[in-house]
Amino acid sequence: MSINRRDFVKTTAVAAAATAVGMTIPKNLLASAPDVSEGGWRWDKSVCRFCGTGCGIMLATKDGKIVAVKGDPAAPVNRGLNCIKGYFNAKIMYGADRLKQPLMRLDSNGNFSKNGKFKPVSWKVAYDEMEKQMRRSLDELGPTGIAVFGSGQYTVQEGYAMAKLMKAGFRSNNLDPNARHCMASAVVGFIQTFGIDEPAGCYDDIELTDTVVTWGANMAEMHPVLWSRVTDRKLSDPDRVKIINLSTYTNRCSDLADIEIIFKPHTDLAIWNYIAREIVYNNPESMDQDFIDKYMQFATGFVDTGYGMRKPDHKGFTDLERQTVKKEVSKIISKEEAVTLGYLGYKEGDTLEMKHRASANGHWAITFEEFKKGLEPYTLNFVAGLAKGNPEEDLASFRVKLKLLASLYMEQNRKVVSFWTMGMNQHTRGVWVNEQAYMVHFLLGKQAKPGNGAFSLTGQPSACGTAREVGTFSHRLPADMVVANPKHREVSEKLWKLPAGTINPKVGTHIMKIFRDLEDEKIKFAWVNVCNPFMGTANANHWLKTARKMDNFIVVSDSYPGVSAKVADLVLPVAMIYEKWGAYGNAERRTQHWKQQVVPVGSAMPDLWQYIEISKRFKLKDVWGAKDIPGLEGGLPDVLDKARDMGYDPEDTLYDVLFANEEAKSYAWPDPIGEGFSNTEAAGDGREIIGTNDEEWKGYGFFIHKYLWEEYRTFGEGKAHDYADFDTYHKVRGLKWPVVDGKETQWRFNSKYDPYARKEDAGEFAFYGKALKSILQGDLRGPIPSKGKKDLTNRAKIFFRPYMDPPEMPDAAFPLWLCTGRVLEHWHSGTMTMRVPELYRAVPEALCYMHPDDASEYNVAQGDLIWIDSRRGKVKAHVETRGRNRMPKGMIYVPWFDEKVLINKVCLDATDPQSKQTDFKKCTVKIYKA
Amino acid sequence: MADELQNNSRRDALKTLFQGIGVLGLGGSLWGSAAIKLKASELTLRPPGALEEEDFVKACIRCGTCVEACPYDTLKLATLDNHTAIGTPFFEARLVPCYMCPDVPCVPVCPSGALDVKVIAKQIDGHNTDEPDIRRAKMGIAVVDQETCLAYWGIQCDVCYRACPLMDEAITLEYKRNERTGKHAFLEPVVHSDICTGCGLCEHACVTEKAAIFVLPREIATGKVGEHYIKGWDKADEERLINIKKAETKESSPEDVLNDWEHLLDDE
Amino acid sequence: MMNNIIKKNRYLVLRRTLQFGLLLLFGGANWWGWKFLMGNYSSAYVLESFYLTDPHAVLQTFAAGFVMSTDAIVGGIIVLLFYGLIAGRSFCSWVCPVNILTDLATWMRKKWRLSENDNFLRINRKTRYWILGLGLILSPIVGVAAFEVINPIGMLHRGVIFGFGMGWTFVVAVFLFDLLFVEYGWCGHLCPLGAFYTLSSRFALIKVKHDAEKCTLCMKCKDVCHEIQVLDLIGEESGYIKGACSNCGRCVEVCDDDALKFSVYNYKT
Repeated sequence: MSINRRDFVKTTAVAAAATAVGMTIPKNLLASAPDVSEGGWRWDKSVCRFCGTGCGIMLATKDGKIVAVKGDPAAPVNRGLNCIKGYFNAKIMYGADRLKQPLMRLDSNGNFSKNGKFKPVSWKVAYDEMEKQMRRSLDELGPTGIAVFGSGQYTVQEGYAMAKLMKAGFRSNNLDPNARHCMASAVVGFIQTFGIDEPAGCYDDIELTDTVVTWGANMAEMHPVLWSRVTDRKLSDPDRVKIINLSTYTNRCSDLADIEIIFKPHTDLAIWNYIAREIVYNNPESMDQDFIDKYMQFATGFVDTGYGMRKPDHKGFTDLERQTVKKEVSKIISKEEAVTLGYLGYKEGDTLEMKHRASANGHWAITFEEFKKGLEPYTLNFVAGLAKGNPEEDLASFRVKLKLLASLYMEQNRKVVSFWTMGMNQHTRGVWVNEQAYMVHFLLGKQAKPGNGAFSLTGQPSACGTAREVGTFSHRLPADMVVANPKHREVSEKLWKLPAGTINPKVGTHIMKIFRDLEDEKIKFAWVNVCNPFMGTANANHWLKTARKMDNFIVVSDSYPGVSAKVADLVLPVAMIYEKWGAYGNAERRTQHWKQQVVPVGSAMPDLWQYIEISKRFKLKDVWGAKDIPGLEGGLPDVLDKARDMGYDPEDTLYDVLFANEEAKSYAWPDPIGEGFSNTEAAGDGREIIGTNDEEWKGYGFFIHKYLWEEYRTFGEGKAHDYADFDTYHKVRGLKWPVVDGKETQWRFNSKYDPYARKEDAGEFAFYGKALKSILQGDLRGPIPSKGKKDLTNRAKIFFRPYMDPPEMPDAAFPLWLCTGRVLEHWHSGTMTMRVPELYRAVPEALCYMHPDDASEYNVAQGDLIWIDSRRGKVKAHVETRGRNRMPKGMIYVPWFDEKVLINKVCLDATDPQSKQTDFKKCTVKIYKA
Repeated sequence: MADELQNNSRRDALKTLFQGIGVLGLGGSLWGSAAIKLKASELTLRPPGALEEEDFVKACIRCGTCVEACPYDTLKLATLDNHTAIGTPFFEARLVPCYMCPDVPCVPVCPSGALDVKVIAKQIDGHNTDEPDIRRAKMGIAVVDQETCLAYWGIQCDVCYRACPLMDEAITLEYKRNERTGKHAFLEPVVHSDICTGCGLCEHACVTEKAAIFVLPREIATGKVGEHYIKGWDKADEERLINIKKAETKESSPEDVLNDWEHLLDDE
Repeated sequence: MMNNIIKKNRYLVLRRTLQFGLLLLFGGANWWGWKFLMGNYSSAYVLESFYLTDPHAVLQTFAAGFVMSTDAIVGGIIVLLFYGLIAGRSFCSWVCPVNILTDLATWMRKKWRLSENDNFLRINRKTRYWILGLGLILSPIVGVAAFEVINPIGMLHRGVIFGFGMGWTFVVAVFLFDLLFVEYGWCGHLCPLGAFYTLSSRFALIKVKHDAEKCTLCMKCKDVCHEIQVLDLIGEESGYIKGACSNCGRCVEVCDDDALKFSVYNYKT
């Protein structure tokens, strides 16, 4: 490849700039400066809008419009390739019904009315009403009366600004992302196991491993570019490399797999324990004893923790719903549970009272012997009988497959990567099953090593980068800190320059609870950001009705009119990804920034602008006085005096303090890094938008994105969450944090690769995460406080977690399992991809996949329209007995991208009691011809 | 005078006769060529169970009962602008493909036998039954243009593969390493013509501007191997011999060939 | 007065009702999935139980080299027997949708007096028999039922029910031909299907009977007749109207003298 002289000068200039700020940039990551071709289009680097893979793309802009896209050949993740959604990035912004102006429900007099029809309003009218409604809720209910639906599709800066606004400004922790639905179980698994969030490994593991095991991860459709890397690895050494696909139905991963294991929903818990039992009982020599002794601690936790549902006496439930919901308080021990919970003394038919619902996260240290005792029941015979998911499969062959699976894990010198996504995360025992994955990898010493590791993939483009790292959860602060921890609050208050005591220590409402509190009128103002939760949340009938019939005000900021916008009171048009500056963080900790490529359409404005504009309307005196918080004794203190001491005036707005402070204004716009690019927030963009104060929008006058990034990154600095500076990311193809001394980190906790592990000087590894590292000791039955606490510095935990039944299982009335999920062609609720004509044509509707025998049993046929009916609601869909998902008898699958098939009306809103992540993968239904 | 009259009337009669024949001949040849033109339909996809094209246009009574039986509005009756025998049923896969209904409602309703259940009879133990089997339909064959197929570029598309009702049989994915990136694989769709029914769901789903996978009638999309060679490794291939015609030979005289030698010498 | 108008058009009203009714039933099958009458005038699937087929189409298809299914042939025989033994050539005026169109053309032609200055094209009414024969000869040559390819009846039906496409050109051609060139040009001179039914329904029972005793020679019947040559006996002798008469009943209803009536043919006379 020849490099012409001009390119050479350009790249060396970038390298020189990077050296100047002390960065060493890996050569292959160097991005060339934007290139304006002779045809008049400009190529610039960006990132794909869709999944958590984080493919790099290049965008061509001409005459203020994105005209083309190409995979970025220099991007390490995808090397110029894309999946079919990424292929259409250039088209997602130009759907016919793009929202272009604020729309509010108005009565005939032009005033807001809950029962009015949507009519265009000015930004000022929209914000006046929004302010009024926020004040109404705040006055009536305090800081917990408002809530924000956040997202794993927030840019880093948007998520950070909203977290700061809610937590530092309104002192409300009622901010929770749709990422809760996506990887909350993975997060709790990480925090409890490692003491720090996010995967140890990176995508390079794919090229380095010998074995890829997918557990409830249909990578072939959901992470297609990564799957093509898995495929390449298989092709590179077909005999050595083994692919095993574990799933509750046959999906496209099985095409490549050497072994396909179809298991019954929820029995992944038993299969992991079977593997562990094989290791501990039958092949102890396969254990990495040295690794375990030096770096591990065995642990376990409570089982009587419920299923994250409300109590059955809630007035909103129907009798049918209560049949399932009653298990939240107690359940009858089943035959299988009698075996797996035998260590607690339960027998079949006993009642398990859910005593530890409130302390579901509690866990304690146990000895190896206790751990081993817990695994005792998970023999091959028991687990095979319990877990075989395909009634047509022969039990003996299923046993052989399980045995083979265990032996592949145990085989010496065989590297193994276990990938999972929603199958293990959307699970009423999702945290457990995440921890079981680490259990097996830890026992074998196959974790945090190149080509070895349990690797949680994420679904959303910035589930890691924003939702988790920024901490847009109801319990989190940036850099893995939590609101409940006084030290963490103190650190955050200092960095945010807040008076001590500003941050609310009481954990806010998780996303499921925001809906439930709206229904109970404990929250009366909710703002939907970058997601479509009224379509994406289980038991949707409750929430749709709540939005339209209860006393509340719902604001939806969106680019297209989806289900959430339809039930909202005020709809704000937002700029889409390439119409704003931003950054995403993918599943391998890679942070990637992009520049605003084009000016937004119509009067649409960036989310960031929308959040900051509302901050102009509240003064310190409105929010920093004493506040009542339900469940928090004494409430929140008045911090106005302290604020005065810090030089703030109670008449200052939240905008002045949080977003337009001296520090912020030091980031000037224009900035050389943005030369030739628009910045709607900083300087307006020539559209002469009339802003929220009825004056023409001319910009904040400073580089707000750079300011937010630079402030945000101070949270993680020196705490194993280090990022590079803003400008560097605009020159490279993303970097995997922690970025230390200009170098990214490929494998964390491994002293060879991770400077933080090295720093601990604890040997080859150091599991240096700080959270939950001092725990009680006990035995399998419970903690024994008299034994005192154990310090686990630099150690990770190997959890014993038992098998339990899910709260809803098929019975005579509702005989079929229902599993929901995505399809390759569509993203989430389809607001973007269903508007790309080609993708719509490819998959125009959500089908109900089922086994042909089930179809004949329930008297329906291929192509028939049927009702899918659960205890909670019903929807119509067409039957598909062929096609991409081949269901075992007794289970159907319906994807959720299609507004016309709003399957979440049917789904159960049970969650993991620890992570509060909904189980969208299992509930029970009946079907009949429509 | 009388003679003249008689002559005149005879002449008139002859004239009329010739005119009549002329008009009939002209009309007949115009009609005939129009008919040939209007039945020309090499690129037309027919409903499942259709007879061979030649027989189909003969047999089809153009009644549209199959069109009315189709629950997906796939089938249309040809009008003058469709380049196929006018009034006969056909479908355009890119617009509405055949959804391969298991009960094949369009075929049994055909009054003329132009669509014949026997053509797609379900076979049990090699014997035809009276039931239709949509998998045996041969409406056409999907063909992939590898230059414009995104999967052959390395894009993770395979929309056609997942749209195929006979996924993993009619279309399979062939895995190849992508030497350019060094770590990705091509997942290339490959059509198996012995299984493909030509339903066109792939063509319909294809995301490129003009479909990179499209259905052609089998006659157009397939070649044919002479019966004088049988695959030595495939017993089933011998079945082709059943239809073998008596080998035609042309006789010519070897003497003529021998006597034609002078051109072997270079010109002086 | 009103009663009189209806009386004077009673068969016309019945015919139009039947013609449009059939179109509606055919259309309903396609548009709303009705099951009364699926298909078209070439072949109709009745109440999902049996077929009625155009025997001329069966014959052409046979000539082209294809023997239709038994269902279709049985349907063809039913139709052939029905018209041949009972109803005469009534398909043309009671069923065929083109008749509506050509009647309209004729009505306009008369109203605008287009017939007064157009003697440049004359076609013998026997031409249709030549076309019938030619179609049967062409069918095996071109390998397709030759008339079906250009059949305006099928095109009109498909046009109405399934959408015209370019097929309307044929239909418009027939309309213009009748309007501008030859009175009753298509149905009375060219249509081979009409020719087929004329030949095959020679011995049908239902025929119009003329009573010369009552005739006042007002000639209203000749004004309305499409096949005027069949009325040669008017005023001259009593008897049955034979030949290409399509039993449209126009002459019966316009006759003020009760000299024309539908009747059952008496073979003995």
